[in-house]
Amino acid sequence: MELIAYFLSLKPLNLLSALPGNIVQGIIWGIMALGVFITFRLLNFADLTVDGTFAAGGAVTVVLILAGIPAPIALAIATIVGLLGGLVTGFLHTILGIPDILAGILTQISFWSINLLVLDGANRAVNVDKYHLIVSLRNISSSIVTMLVFAAVLVSILYWYFGTEQGSAIRATGNNPQMVKAQGINIDFMKVLALGLSNCLVAFSGGLMSQFQGFADIKMGQGAIVIGLAAVIIGEVIGDALIGKYMNFYIKLVFVVLGGVIYYFVIGLVMWLRMPTDLLKLFTASVVAIFLAIPYLKAKTNNSFVFANKGGAQKNA
Amino acid sequence: MKNMKRIILILMSIALVLLSLTACGKSPEVSDTTPSGPEQPEAQSYNIGICQLVQHEALDAATKGFRDALTDKLGDKVKFDEQNANGEPDISATICNQFVSSGVDLIMANATPALQAAQTSTNKIPILGTSVTDYGTALDIDDWTGKTGKNISGTSDLAPLDQQAAMLHEIFPDAHKVGIIYCSAEPNSKYQDKVITEHLTDMGYSVKSYTFSDSNDLQTVAKAAISENDVIYLPTDNTIASNAEIIKNIALPAKVPIIAGEEGICSASGGVATLSISYYDLGYTTGEMAYEILVNGKDPATMEIRYAPKFTKKYNPDICDTFGITLPDEYEAL
Repeated sequence: MELIAYFLSLKPLNLLSALPGNIVQGIIWGIMALGVFITFRLLNFADLTVDGTFAAGGAVTVVLILAGIPAPIALAIATIVGLLGGLVTGFLHTILGIPDILAGILTQISFWSINLLVLDGANRAVNVDKYHLIVSLRNISSSIVTMLVFAAVLVSILYWYFGTEQGSAIRATGNNPQMVKAQGINIDFMKVLALGLSNCLVAFSGGLMSQFQGFADIKMGQGAIVIGLAAVIIGEVIGDALIGKYMNFYIKLVFVVLGGVIYYFVIGLVMWLRMPTDLLKLFTASVVAIFLAIPYLKAKTNNSFVFANKGGAQKNA
Repeated sequence: MKNMKRIILILMSIALVLLSLTACGKSPEVSDTTPSGPEQPEAQSYNIGICQLVQHEALDAATKGFRDALTDKLGDKVKFDEQNANGEPDISATICNQFVSSGVDLIMANATPALQAAQTSTNKIPILGTSVTDYGTALDIDDWTGKTGKNISGTSDLAPLDQQAAMLHEIFPDAHKVGIIYCSAEPNSKYQDKVITEHLTDMGYSVKSYTFSDSNDLQTVAKAAISENDVIYLPTDNTIASNAEIIKNIALPAKVPIIAGEEGICSASGGVATLSISYYDLGYTTGEMAYEILVNGKDPATMEIRYAPKFTKKYNPDICDTFGITLPDEYEAL
């Protein structure tokens, strides 16, 4: 009885009406996930700088907007700060020979102090009533259009870039560094380039996030890498299930952004279900796991070997 | 084996389908309940969204006080949707988005980032903050007058820092150097550090601040602070509240006394005394403000930010014995 009362207390319209906000937040994280996709998938480099550069993007954007600089210019400067962060990790890794994960962690923890200095504290608010912001939780309908345009433009640029000679060299560096070296390409340069590009996207996304939520907080980057990775993998798995072998690089990038949207939809779903709040992360993880498992298990049952096996078993019987 | 997998697959699909079916199943119920509202305005019920930043003793107490106040006054006419961002600031934006889109009657934002996300999400639905120290900074308002002038009001957990400093002076008039330890990630602590440093410097102490970034480097920072100072002051800092044991284990053997900004920190860190506020009372006050807004139609724009209703001087008897300190009768034992 209680269970029925619980189900009756849920209001499906609320889930729908919260959706646009979740989509905006999801696309912002999806752009961050594009950055993670470049390092983890294309370059095969476990880059943990992103927790630092995401918060740095937010901090720089907010502080500059408060100083009276227009939001788009602030966002552009924040993106350059992200680029610098990526270059530092690249420098630590390629010139000083520090292993990839450690190099990223070192840059990430340095950003903690840098962000505190930038913010002059741990938290700064940017009031949507006072400044003209690119995206905001206050104007979700216009934010959603802006974010869709941003995502489309970024995906197109990345698609174009990774088709150029230089972009292809980055992808090849991730696939087979020995072969790339044999072609006379400087793999260290390619790594630094990709790290810089990746952290540009991450800081850009952090700058958008801080405007969307109306504040920058020193903790806003904590765990960003987890969300980014989840988005990349959700996007890949779902893209694979829906499109399968027709998946090309462009669609792959689109699905990475979509992965972020799905992740935030799941969080919205868990909140809407009014689960005990202490269990939010457990439920989020479970629902994401279900999303990930279904296409895999489906693929297993539809596998041609399984059919062959069955047929064989019947013949033998 | 293959059947097992198929069964798992089917079960999972059913789980998802059930989720979505429950989503479609009850729209009629919703429309059934809505028309009954306007007929009897007396029996109107209120939906309140509570957005708390993180699971934490003080914040939990404030949320509980808030709920108790409204439940005492409105009984079952008030419904709470309590959400917790689990420490991730951007999730508080997700939560506030949910509240605004489902049209709650009031949002209670517990802690600074929660309040900021709530302010960004709506300029119509009334918002009450709690466990926020300085509203002017938190909301980016230039000329702070004690009122926000928009849909926001609330309660501040600011313990009167001048009185804290006076208390420190009362107990340790002969000390020279005071060290303040706090977490660099907490805006409220930085604010308290700034204000109390001014008060203590005026009283002739030399004051130095020691900041740490997380619990891992607290030990090193605390060691340095304790070895260099005569008295330690701990502000109302969430990270210190969770790691007070560490400070206690360094300060007690070194025989350096601690004055704390809050009761929980004082008892956990082996502090001598504190000027205490109760987060439960603070939440309760916030709940009373919510009642005034919801039922009496008060405008949050004109409501002054309120402070904790009472402050109590409290001391830690065991620690005072250890240090051989005797305090006036007005101090209550912890």
